[in-house]
Amino acid sequence: MSRRFLTAEDVRRSEGAEIIVEPTTVVTPQALDAARERGISVRTESGEWQPGPPDRGPDAERALRSLPHLPEPEDNPSLASSAIVTAVGKNRAGVLAEITATIAAMKGNVHDVSQKVVEGYFHMILTVELPEGGSFHELKTGLECLGNPEDFAVRVMNERVFRFMHRV
Amino acid sequence: MTFTDREILETIRMVELETLDIRTTTLGISLFDCADPDLESTCEKVYTKVVHHAAGLVDIVDTIHEDYGIPIVNKRIAVTPISWIAAASGAEDLVPLARALDAAAAEVGVDFIGGFSAYVDKGYTYADRAVFDSIPEALAQTERVCSSIALASTRTGINIDAVSHFADVVLETARRTADRGALGCAKLVCFCNPVQDNPFVAGAHIGVGEPETVLSIGVSGPGVVRSALARLEPDADLLAVAETIKRTAFKITRMGELVGREAARRLGTSFGIVDVSLAPTPAVGDSVADILELIGVDRVGGPGTTAALALLTDAVKKGGVMASSSVGGLSGAFIPVSEDRGMIQAVLDGALSLDKLEAMTAVCSVGLDMVAVPGDTPRSTLTGIIADEMAIGMVNLKTTAVRIIPVPGKGPGELVEWGGLLGTAIIQDPGRFGCRALHARGGRIPPPLQGFRN
Repeated sequence: MSRRFLTAEDVRRSEGAEIIVEPTTVVTPQALDAARERGISVRTESGEWQPGPPDRGPDAERALRSLPHLPEPEDNPSLASSAIVTAVGKNRAGVLAEITATIAAMKGNVHDVSQKVVEGYFHMILTVELPEGGSFHELKTGLECLGNPEDFAVRVMNERVFRFMHRV
Repeated sequence: MTFTDREILETIRMVELETLDIRTTTLGISLFDCADPDLESTCEKVYTKVVHHAAGLVDIVDTIHEDYGIPIVNKRIAVTPISWIAAASGAEDLVPLARALDAAAAEVGVDFIGGFSAYVDKGYTYADRAVFDSIPEALAQTERVCSSIALASTRTGINIDAVSHFADVVLETARRTADRGALGCAKLVCFCNPVQDNPFVAGAHIGVGEPETVLSIGVSGPGVVRSALARLEPDADLLAVAETIKRTAFKITRMGELVGREAARRLGTSFGIVDVSLAPTPAVGDSVADILELIGVDRVGGPGTTAALALLTDAVKKGGVMASSSVGGLSGAFIPVSEDRGMIQAVLDGALSLDKLEAMTAVCSVGLDMVAVPGDTPRSTLTGIIADEMAIGMVNLKTTAVRIIPVPGKGPGELVEWGGLLGTAIIQDPGRFGCRALHARGGRIPPPLQGFRN
């Protein structure tokens, strides 16, 4: 195993103008300060030391490899990036059009619509498939900004949430 | 795949109206490699390692929130008990380590970091003693650091000397944070049979046997269970009540499982556990007391409360284990008095006594939690309260904890307002009888027969 840390104390004890560390060594901010004060350079065999990505440990890779093997509830890859949009509010002309226009502008494909109007209030549920590379977050923000509390409220959640909650 | 309108609206209702949320995503970070003969270097390593590993935590969790539309309330860090790390330095004052943890937590933007901890269920090392001696100052000087101490276990018995030492630490911590209603004690908890992968503060830490880093989830949702029970026919029998809670716990846990998988994947770390614990908040409706009253007790603390709580805790665990293979931690129902509006009301109305709370802890998932007592409660009485709680855990092979707050200058019935998640407490009366002679004996209560299951 390589040296895990380089501390200020290590720098103070070092003799010479440079300290060679492994690329995976974590150099503390205090060590960098101490090295700067003393004019010592901290570097790896191949060049300047840069903080690397965190090393999550010897079994992290194994754990990550096994994650995709955990079964998803009723896996359905074609709907992997779907959103469920719900809207509730006072009924007026053009509500459905406003919502679907926003979805269309983001190239979302409406798979399923259900709408009911009860005593002047509507509730609507849409299943929307996002285009490849489409941003769920953008769709969510775009739609949720449409509603205002006086009028109607839109809520967007990832389809996977419903799958986990309601399917085994 | 299509879902029925009912299914979709149920989920939306849970999140929008019933305050369902992922209560915490906690990144466990092992600090074993930070041990150093020099305490200053230990602090440097601890700070650097925590920041290095947790730098992306808040952003990644926020992205999951954005990508799924699930509310995720807290991001936290759990570390290796600090006594194991500090031992190499031989230092007696470990407050610098607490400051390093606090600074790291602030730097990465988490609200709490747990692990200023020690295990003394059988005896002390020098480092354990240093942790005890440093806790009051550490908790007074830092905002985010939480401390937990293991005082007992079914395997080792109860270290009564450590229990009374802990009582001293609690009183001293209360004294040093007296200006804030003894708030330091809210960040200090002791355990029997502690859970070494607990994602919830104040007891969060990661023990031996845990990986280098591990991501665990705490899901909550008392409001969801409460609403599900409210929709149940009033004459439905208790089997139907248990079934309703179990189904609801299943759904809540599945959401935790989803977030856990996603967070572990995005952080590139091992996925630890999902802890499905009904954790109340002072928000209206987010109350375990309300659930118990819906199950059928007049007021929390009345006869039937322990039975109702036993049903609740068990049904939550059963729904949880069916929903995820990773269910662990404490999982069940928390009964932190000050944080639960219904519990506080029950204390105010004289329905919930300290004695009944103790009985409830035999069947809840943790123990005496966020209980306020008078600031002048004798040390021996505190020792007795804690020892009783440890005994319940020891004999029943369960985790029990005590988070007790002796509020200086306050007497029974008076009110303390902490605000935020910690809520409001009514000072409870520990009674006028103590256990001075037991306290003076000291020593250890040996483990019960239940501990010898080899």
